[in-house]
Amino acid sequence: MLFATPLLLEQETAMKHRPSLTLLAAAVLATVSGWAQADTGKLLLTGGVSTIAGSAGGGLTPWAVIGSNATEGEVGVSAYATRAATQDYSLNGYGVALGLHERLELSLARQDFDASPALALNGIAPFGVAPGQHLKMDVLGVKLRVAGDAVLDSDSWMPQIAVGLEHKRVHPGSIGSVLDFLGTQTSGTDVYVSATKLLLAQSVLVNGTLRYTNANQNGLLGFGSAAPGKNRRSLQPEFSVAYLINKHLAVGAEYRFKPNNLQALGAAAGLGAALREDDWKDLFIAWAPSKNLSLTLAYVDLGRIVPGITNNRRQTGYYLSAQVAF
Amino acid sequence: MTHPRTLIALAIALGGLWAPPAFAQGSAAMATAPAGLYQALGEKPGITRLMDGFVNRVVKDPRIGGHFKDVKPAALKESLTDQICQLSGGPCKYEGADMKSVHADMDIHKGHFNALVEVLQSAMDAEGIPFAQQNRLLALLAPMHRDVITKR
Repeated sequence: MLFATPLLLEQETAMKHRPSLTLLAAAVLATVSGWAQADTGKLLLTGGVSTIAGSAGGGLTPWAVIGSNATEGEVGVSAYATRAATQDYSLNGYGVALGLHERLELSLARQDFDASPALALNGIAPFGVAPGQHLKMDVLGVKLRVAGDAVLDSDSWMPQIAVGLEHKRVHPGSIGSVLDFLGTQTSGTDVYVSATKLLLAQSVLVNGTLRYTNANQNGLLGFGSAAPGKNRRSLQPEFSVAYLINKHLAVGAEYRFKPNNLQALGAAAGLGAALREDDWKDLFIAWAPSKNLSLTLAYVDLGRIVPGITNNRRQTGYYLSAQVAF
Repeated sequence: MTHPRTLIALAIALGGLWAPPAFAQGSAAMATAPAGLYQALGEKPGITRLMDGFVNRVVKDPRIGGHFKDVKPAALKESLTDQICQLSGGPCKYEGADMKSVHADMDIHKGHFNALVEVLQSAMDAEGIPFAQQNRLLALLAPMHRDVITKR
């Protein structure tokens, strides 16, 4: 139980906001603790950490690695809890991932986004947004490794390649009327291809992901837009680079391009750039004190998120995530 | 998203994705010993100590010790020392059997291979070999997974 103390700390932090998170984490731990004896055999940190959408990767972008500690011939599971907070918003998330034979990954994630600033939208039109409204989103992920070995093929440039999808469904509560006004759908599916390569001799990991998506702010503001906004999906690249300081510690950066589907609609409604969406960036440090636990701390820059109700501020802040894996 | 950005992104992504395998596999430059690695491992005496600690750990490891029950540790240490010495750029010659035939009759999964890597990492830690140098050696050894792992 080397991992118990930090995890409980993270649970306590999150508990104030979501009592069910603690229950879920406890249930997952109880379930997987029996599996720990299975002695799964992936090298430290080579399963990545948990992304905000539940699949294995960096923090903001999925990688081609398959989650959990399971390698070929093994089945593994991981669970995570994440909290991120910026000037005007905060996000709690948790989820589980199942890794099958280092080939197939199934993941399930829940996000709870504190959208309190949306109350100001009632000043634009009678949307009926409730004070302190949260947006919740469920993400079902599937990822299949199709070629390569990110870690062991160190004499070649061939990366590990995976294809994946993230099916998302947002539960907007009283913000639903706003999403209706914007003409966005409340569910959508991103598909992506990822290529991950560990340049072992240099201790550097690189990842490139190409995502086909029409999600607004990762789906929290729905999918697509009424005209003249952009309703169709577009290709958005995402990049991660990490340097392994030692077996237990990695530092890195990510850059995720985002579509800007809603801005044109906002401009046509006389709101200028009030609905602009920016690219996401982060600088992270990941620490894996054991094979069963990793903690990730990041500085995130999410750009502007509905700048019309947040004084045009860039949303920067912290991201903290704990993952247990077996 | 503008078109030029899409194209640049595609070019980068596809350039990474579809590198021709022939170029990938035949890259002799990546297989040659990196400069200074032999020295970083402490030359022949250092590698001898490293393999001594490594084999002592391997035979006791509950995950993979069983694979070595019919092997004489002293002979294995000597053979591995020659192999690592040569690989890392030292003046040695490995004259043992090739990796494929040595492991052909064994049940070796990727989990076993990874366990072996972990044991080697802890042996290198014990010798005080810096992490970056450890990875330079591991980069020479990891491709052997193609010949060592018999059960895919």
